[in-house]
Amino acid sequence: MTGLWRQAWEIARKDLRTEFRTGEVLLITVPFGAAALMLIPLAIGVDAPLLERVGPGMYWSVVLLFGVLVTVRQSAADGPAQMDVLTLLGLDPAARFAGRAGASALLLLVFEAVLAPLALALYGSDPRGWWWVLAVLPLVAVGLGLLGTLAAAIAAGVASTTLVPLIVVPLSVPMLLAASQVTEGIRVGATIFGWLLLLVVMDLLLAVAGVLSARPLQEAAR
Amino acid sequence: MPLATPAPFGGPGPYTRPVPAAVIDLRSVGVRLGDTPILRDLDLRVEAGEAVGLIGANGSGKTTLLRLLATLLAPTDGEGAVLGASLSSPERFAVRPRIGLIGHTPGLYPQLTLEENLAFVARIAGIPGEAVGEVLDRVGLGLARHRRAAACSHGMQRRGEFARVMLTRPDLLLLDEAHAGLDSQAADLVAHLVEGVRRRGGAAVVVSHEPGRIAPLVGRFVELQAGAVADPGTAAS
Amino acid sequence: MRRKVWLDAAAGALLVATLAAALAVPPERTMGDLARLMFVHVPAAWLAYLAFGVTLVGSAGYLATRRMKWDRLAAGSAEVGVCFNGLTIALGMIWGKSTWGVWWTWDARLVLTAIMFFVYLGYLGLRRGIADPVARARRSAWLGVLGAVQIPIVHFSVVWWRGLHQPPSVIRPGGVQMDDEFRIALAVAVLAFTAVYAALLRRHMENARAEEALAARLASEEVEVAGAAITAPRYGEVD
Repeated sequence: MTGLWRQAWEIARKDLRTEFRTGEVLLITVPFGAAALMLIPLAIGVDAPLLERVGPGMYWSVVLLFGVLVTVRQSAADGPAQMDVLTLLGLDPAARFAGRAGASALLLLVFEAVLAPLALALYGSDPRGWWWVLAVLPLVAVGLGLLGTLAAAIAAGVASTTLVPLIVVPLSVPMLLAASQVTEGIRVGATIFGWLLLLVVMDLLLAVAGVLSARPLQEAAR
Repeated sequence: MPLATPAPFGGPGPYTRPVPAAVIDLRSVGVRLGDTPILRDLDLRVEAGEAVGLIGANGSGKTTLLRLLATLLAPTDGEGAVLGASLSSPERFAVRPRIGLIGHTPGLYPQLTLEENLAFVARIAGIPGEAVGEVLDRVGLGLARHRRAAACSHGMQRRGEFARVMLTRPDLLLLDEAHAGLDSQAADLVAHLVEGVRRRGGAAVVVSHEPGRIAPLVGRFVELQAGAVADPGTAAS
Repeated sequence: MRRKVWLDAAAGALLVATLAAALAVPPERTMGDLARLMFVHVPAAWLAYLAFGVTLVGSAGYLATRRMKWDRLAAGSAEVGVCFNGLTIALGMIWGKSTWGVWWTWDARLVLTAIMFFVYLGYLGLRRGIADPVARARRSAWLGVLGAVQIPIVHFSVVWWRGLHQPPSVIRPGGVQMDDEFRIALAVAVLAFTAVYAALLRRHMENARAEEALAARLASEEVEVAGAAITAPRYGEVD
């Protein structure tokens, strides 16, 4: 068991080091998400009360749609030759899944953290109850990291870059609803524990699915 | 895993276990991709301490056979064993760290330096990190250790691959296109690797388009023709 | 080659019966002739659920047995299911526009039907992206299982979201007053469409098997030709 965590840590460390050198998330995906947040008010008109109202929903939509790009980033993808090396080193496929998902979740958290103040500024939304949103940010980051890594493992070897987002987006609907309902619930003073619980259940389920499918999906590679 | 101290490549590796008499034992093995046959009715036995040259035209199945021997592909017909583990059962997962494969495409991470690449390999495999510097020196990359793999020429990346195999000291060494793009100095490294694994009591399978270059290294040749053994055991001349 | 046509014939006959029944029932009391849309809309919706359920069974069956016939079942069912799912959405929109004056409402069932559509479009996209039949079967089987497991969670979250934030939906099950004649005709329609589904699925699986056999035959011929053209190198001469 300790071997598994050590290997997962090494994979995550390698992925993060590669990210710091290429800047694919911080220098490309984050600005892209920020540009998307700017695009919406331009499209729907600069109506302050309306923007304030839709702000949180737009923020979560952008996080999910553009966050998928964090999980499929080119710099973390192992080519066939690298996969062979990892396999022959005796790397546990579950450790590889955990390491990749962990690194993606951390980068997603950074992505969310950079975009959140920007969304507040652009949409003028009320940051009341932000401490609850602080709990939602990591839950969504972990869930999206797991789902994206799992979808990438299923779609390994497929040339299309849009297939993983197509698999992830419909299945991430519960995360989108839960995240936006927490923000909305705080605004109107409704209870939000059910939505938080849904996020936790979703994360656990995806973690189990990813660990269970890691070995069979790796052996299915050609 | 009990770890061995860094030793010359000829010495035992960190994963070295008693090697069975037949390192490779394939009986009427076939590999189909869907219904397409790639390898057919293949019998191959390679003894401990032996090195075999694998030759054949493009598309004859050499690389597929090498991937089968590396346990990366499972046979669809017949029975095969490598290092005593059946290729069709989960036993094969356990012998993987004892197999070294060098394919045509280098498996280095382009954004990591040569040293980081090897240190990563060492940590995943549970090998002490001191060995990294030593193997880099031995393949002649000591001065380039802080260069990123992306900035290395193909020949240097190839040497990096050799260093990786020196680090893990496998009992079964599989070399695809052993001499592709190598200068004569690097060609000596191939000889060193093959000799080392034989001395350790393991086995090596070397694929080459230039049988003449590997003839001094191998005891015999096996020729593949359309996915089947055409010539089992022509003596190397 | 012997063709079993009885299933196709039965499906065809049932479809004719459905058409006759659908035209024979008197116009519905409140909805008039528009209610006849239900004879396609309801069976199509039922088939989408059935088809995706069969895809789950086929995927799980493949993972358990590794036999290609399960993969062909899962793939064929998903493809037919996506068609019926699309038909369900299109007819539902026509119904909604004529009845409530809107093309779309955020009813939980509508949202789930649309999401299912995208999930299985992704499934079919994955299948198209992988050339090797075995790798394709294994990978899509995992997605077939994952998608089906996630759908109840998606459904639950959408229902909850609706329940909290909107007044009760305009679409109520049994909202249309159904006469006995209407009900019987609807039952015939469901039966007919299920037969059509079974016939399409069987044809689909036959085609898939024939394609695999053809690919195998072409490939083995190619290999033979390539092998014949090889002249074995003479090692003595090379040295």
